[in-house]
Amino acid sequence: MKKMMHWGLSLFFVLMSTNAFAVTDLNPEGKFKVIPAILMIALLILFIMVGVFFKAQNTEDYWAAGRGVGQIGGGMAIASNWMSAASYLGMAGLIYLKGYFAISYVLGWTGGYVLLLVLMAGQVRRYGKYTAPDFVGDRYYSTTARLMSALIVITISFVYAVGQYKGIGMMFNWIFGINYQTSVIVGTGVVLAYVLISGMLGATKNMQVQYVVIVITFFLPLFFIASKLGYFSAVPQIGYGAAVYDIGHGGNGIVAAASDPSYYLPFAKYTAYHWFALCITLMLGTAGLPHVIGRFYVVPRVSDARWQVVWGLFCIALVYWTAPAYAAFAKFSNLLGTTGTTITPDAIVVNAAELAGLPEWFAGFLAAGGVSAAFSTVGGLLMAGSSAFAHDIYFRVLNPNASEESKMKIARVGTVILGVSIIIVALNPPALIAQITAVAFALGANTFFPLFLLGLWWSRTTKEAAIIGMIVGLVVTFGSMLIPKTSILAYYIPFTSSAIVGVPAVLITMIVVSMMTPEPSQEIKELLYKVHNDE
Amino acid sequence: MNKDININFFKPVGDFMKKDVAMKKKLLIVWFVATYGFLFLLKLVADPGKTVELTLNTGEKITQVSGVSFLTETQFLGFPFHYWYSGQFLIVLFIFLCYVYCKFIDKLESEYDK
Repeated sequence: MKKMMHWGLSLFFVLMSTNAFAVTDLNPEGKFKVIPAILMIALLILFIMVGVFFKAQNTEDYWAAGRGVGQIGGGMAIASNWMSAASYLGMAGLIYLKGYFAISYVLGWTGGYVLLLVLMAGQVRRYGKYTAPDFVGDRYYSTTARLMSALIVITISFVYAVGQYKGIGMMFNWIFGINYQTSVIVGTGVVLAYVLISGMLGATKNMQVQYVVIVITFFLPLFFIASKLGYFSAVPQIGYGAAVYDIGHGGNGIVAAASDPSYYLPFAKYTAYHWFALCITLMLGTAGLPHVIGRFYVVPRVSDARWQVVWGLFCIALVYWTAPAYAAFAKFSNLLGTTGTTITPDAIVVNAAELAGLPEWFAGFLAAGGVSAAFSTVGGLLMAGSSAFAHDIYFRVLNPNASEESKMKIARVGTVILGVSIIIVALNPPALIAQITAVAFALGANTFFPLFLLGLWWSRTTKEAAIIGMIVGLVVTFGSMLIPKTSILAYYIPFTSSAIVGVPAVLITMIVVSMMTPEPSQEIKELLYKVHNDE
Repeated sequence: MNKDININFFKPVGDFMKKDVAMKKKLLIVWFVATYGFLFLLKLVADPGKTVELTLNTGEKITQVSGVSFLTETQFLGFPFHYWYSGQFLIVLFIFLCYVYCKFIDKLESEYDK
């Protein structure tokens, strides 16, 4: 097991050495931007204050029973926990670069919720375990499976958080004018301190506040960008459509010769296979992310949990309808020939405001919002990773008699170790934010999605199948990074979209292995029968 | 214990599970066709005369349709239609599917006293 972790880590270092994605300095003059800095610091203070103020209201309120406010509030919390720097900063950057192709990111990260809700939510809830590795360990009656899945949770948290760190580093760099490397260390130091403090404070209200901050900071500048460029600015999410059309055909100041049809044409830059592979990977990954599945465990009323998913998806959609608008306006300004701003794909949201000639403090809104988005997600990830470490590995396997106190201590230590080790990779990030995040999703799709799908829907699945399935999933995910970039295999298994091959491979492996190994015991089957037909 | 307690998505047992699974299948089919069927449709109706040359990662050059069709050239709310469909409408559809399922399962659970 340890070997595997080392192997995965060394892989990352191999990836890091190819530095096609060196982070450009967004703020080469090293200028300290006063108003954005004040905004950023004010937000941090706000989060801490909210945490202190709502300390009395614990997680129970989070799943507040009753219609209306409880569900919407829960949905907002789901959304801010889910939306990361990849949604806020990375997505727009990819759409700017790849046009219609990158819409698959938008769809992948929303469509997965349909799968999650329809195939897993109710059943997972009735199973009534605490964490994803808990489910795997009990359903597959195996300590080995439990350990492996806990390590996979830690790996997913790790990879996912690298992208967030990069986002935080870039924004701190832009705001405070310190170089990227220093920004990563400073920024993540702040996050770690925040997570450790807020671990003791009211987290739920904070998530809701963070969601409001994310939406306001994301929406506000867009109205001004749209009206500045002369598009329908009352609802810029609709207004940008004309900008997409103009980018492709010329118009509104762009001469036809300068237009770029590849921005909106579906197959101008990539093949249909690539689009399909990426989209399905992100969808299955969404349904296979342990900390997302984990939301359904400890809910008093399953119906509320389900409605929160609907609201959560709506809250997420508000931002996802908006991200392509930033990309389109940045692209438009770029074609228009507005100069003076260097374009960095991962900072395109901030660039868009600069390109449109808005004052600096407007872009400051976006930078602060990007950091907020990353904050809420990193918090959730570090918690998931450290709880896998403290609960699933230490408590369930190593020391079943551990006291609640020593568990907490281990969790804190785990948080710090995980938080600090991510910095090493983030200093020299291997890809764009959304791409790094996509790898975490591929890993979730290749491992947890089949485990849960078969575990819940086919009682014949055995522990050997689970263990071998996880190994195959890991091999496909990390193997896809090792494939030489110019081979034909790399075309069919891109490292951000490996689930297109991985999930079918794992499912087939698990079914075949299950058939070859002895059936699970009667108890497991009865438990599963109850999950579906709770009489 | 003579009853069949083997769970299989394609052989649901009990009334509750049968109805539940039937609904799940419907929603998943809509979900899949709306998302990926549209991609297939774009490819299908694309103007074969408008092509682009792509260089794959293998260095191989392929020529494929760029996807120009009435779906991409029709403007809807200012958008090229397919861009609006994928970038906005599909997300609305996803929310709607989740809404339909929640409504359905709430009703079913109250009928069977879950």
